[in-house]
Parts: sequence; C-alpha cells; structure tokens
Amino acid sequence: MKYKDYYDVLGVPRDANLDQIKKAYRKLARENHPDVSKAKGGEARFKEVAEAYATLKDPEKRKAFDELGRRPAGEEFAPPPQWEQHFGKREGGFGDIDLEELLSSLGRGRPGAQRAARPAPGRDYETTVSLSLEDAHRGTTVNLEVGEGPGARTLEVTIPPGVSDGQKLRLKGKGGPGRNGGEAGDIYLHLTLAPHPVFRADRQDLYFDLALAPWEAALGAELEVPTLDGPVVLTVPAGTRSGRKLRLRGRGLGREQRGDLYAVAVIDVPGTVSDAERDLYRQLATVSNFNPRGGGTGGQHGNAKP
Amino acid sequence: MATQSLEIGWLDDREAVTVAELCRACALSAGELQELVDYGVLVPLREAASEMRFSAAWVMPLRRAARLRSDFDLDLYAVSLLLRCMERIEGLESELQSMRARFSSS
Repeated sequence: MKYKDYYDVLGVPRDANLDQIKKAYRKLARENHPDVSKAKGGEARFKEVAEAYATLKDPEKRKAFDELGRRPAGEEFAPPPQWEQHFGKREGGFGDIDLEELLSSLGRGRPGAQRAARPAPGRDYETTVSLSLEDAHRGTTVNLEVGEGPGARTLEVTIPPGVSDGQKLRLKGKGGPGRNGGEAGDIYLHLTLAPHPVFRADRQDLYFDLALAPWEAALGAELEVPTLDGPVVLTVPAGTRSGRKLRLRGRGLGREQRGDLYAVAVIDVPGTVSDAERDLYRQLATVSNFNPRGGGTGGQHGNAKP
Repeated sequence: MATQSLEIGWLDDREAVTVAELCRACALSAGELQELVDYGVLVPLREAASEMRFSAAWVMPLRRAARLRSDFDLDLYAVSLLLRCMERIEGLESELQSMRARFSSS
C-alpha cells in the first residue's frame, strides 16, 4: 500500500482542528471543483483533495490514518498491527489495497469481504457529447466508453435525428452494475452542438449571414443559399435592409416539428472600386435622396443631415 | 461489437419522473426532496394523480446541485439557493446564445 499525506494535500498542520480542515478543503474545492472552476487539471486535484477531506473530517478514519505516522508520499508501507482491529484480518495482507479504499471501508466492515446483502445501485456516468450540426440533423451513432479497468466497455448509442443544443438524455440501466440485486446505474448525456462554419443555432432555429451587394439589397435578387438539406433558391425582396431576417420555414432543426432557417441580410460593399464603379456610385449619390441617418426615404436612425 | 437496444429517456418537459426516480437519480432522500418542494424551489407537476411527479427537466440540475452539496458540504437550504441561481444562469446563457445566433456575427 502506498502512503499519501492527507495533511499535506490539504495544506494543514497535523494538529489542525475540524474547522481548519473544513476551511482548507472548501478553499481547495472552490479552486479545483470541475463544476465551479476552469483550472487545468482541476478534476484530478479535486479528487485528491476530496479523498484527503473524507478521511480527515471523520474522527475514526483520521485516527486510523494518524496511526501510520508521517512518511514520504508514495512510500510503500505495511499497516500497523492495530489496523487488523479496524479493518479485520486480511489474507495476503493489505498490500493490494488502496489507502482510500481501505479508509473509506472503515465502519462498513472489512473491504472485499461479503457485507450484509444490502442492494446497492450501480454507478451512474455523466458525459457530454459534442455533435456536428449535420449529425444532429440527420441522426448519428456515438460510441461511449463506459467504466474503468476490466469492466470497461463500449456502448453504441443511436442519437435520433433532429436533436438540438443542450438536450439531455438518460440511458436507463446502462451504467455500472448494481450490487446484491441493486439496480444498474444510468448514463446521463448532455448533447452539445459544435460551432458550425455557416449556421448558428438558437434552439431549433438556425441563422446564417447572407451577404448582399448594395444593388441586390436595393433591387432584390434570387440567390442560391445553403440549408442543411442542400441548397435552395431564396428570393431577396427589393429594399432589403441590413439585419433583416428572411425566413425559410421548416428548414431548421427538430424532430416532430422542425424549426425555421433565417438568412440575416448583411449588405457589403467592395473594398476597392474601379473608375467606372466610382463614377456610378457618384452618380447614384447625386441622384438619390436616401439618407440612412434619417429624414430621407426610409432612413432608420441618427440625425438628418442636409 | 453487438449493438444493444437502448431505452433513451429525454430529460425535458416531455417526460415526468416519480419521487423515487428523482431520489435515485440525485442521491437525495424523499424527505430532502420534500424540503426542496417546501422551499418552493422544486415544483411538482400539477396532476390529478395521487403520486407526486416532477418534470424530467429537473433531473440534471438537481443532480448537479446535489453533487455540489456533497462535494462542498452544503446544507439543503444552500442547495435550494444553488438551484435558483443555476436556473437563472441557464436562462441567461440560453438568451445569450439566442442573441448571438440572431444577430449577424460580422
């Protein structure tokens, strides 16, 4: 069995009281807990800290741990003889047992021994699966690695077509096996959609930017646009302003009822213009009485300028 | 590998869970669940059935709050506050995502 120094892990003196231990644990847990921290390697560090706290907060476990004395972390050691009273006599000694496993079994009878046959549910697993928008739309199969060690297995999960970002689902009875007749655990999946180069998802609706030349926006146009089911022709009405959303009904995500797809008009101009284009723009500026800052024909905001 | 047929349960408003199921999923006792109902944070479905049931949408947030409770040694009242905050964060995140999707990125 390898020694771990739980006091070192929590950074508290060996005579620390319960309050000090709790305070140190909470600080480290806050810094490393995967639900509240983005610290790199936080999850592994949190497990270490939680293991130390589980032992030091419990007077009986702490006493058993203290009986080991102080050793360098990772040192192989033989447990003191009085541990047989705590944990029972084990054939082959304590060599193959992890310190955490042993201490957590304290008060529950001998580790590895047959306990009273109380049914215990199997372990639940929770994981996030990232899908491409195309896979979410058409449905896909994902392979989940479940469990650790010899019990590890791969589970093939069929994700039905039309799922959207943030959906959660449960695979009942596919987690760890139950003990003593207990139910098997479940698997919980969070589905997320990976960012797409063209479409942005809002629940079941999709949006994309449709770049328009000024004359396409002003005069209207018939343009080929992308959808998840392949390109379609969209009619851009004359006088389409920047930011206007053109709806393609039923081209979004969804199962029973599909969301919509929106083309968001973005009017663009060329970075450089030829002499002929410049002349035409100047001509347009002279002829047009349009003032986009208000006052003219259809301006939206800002102060009018003569 | 042989493909296993899997029973997929959607954890949203379309499905309901019993008290026993929610307790099992979140490692809480029925008494603790009732306390969260009493605090007004966990809301059962309004149903005629005698047995109390909840929307399956509660499963994931409650699992998370219960996990934080055990990891941070929090009391149940703190869990009720956590649930409210998590609900608010989820709402705001979803609103933010909506805005990002609806308005041009350029």
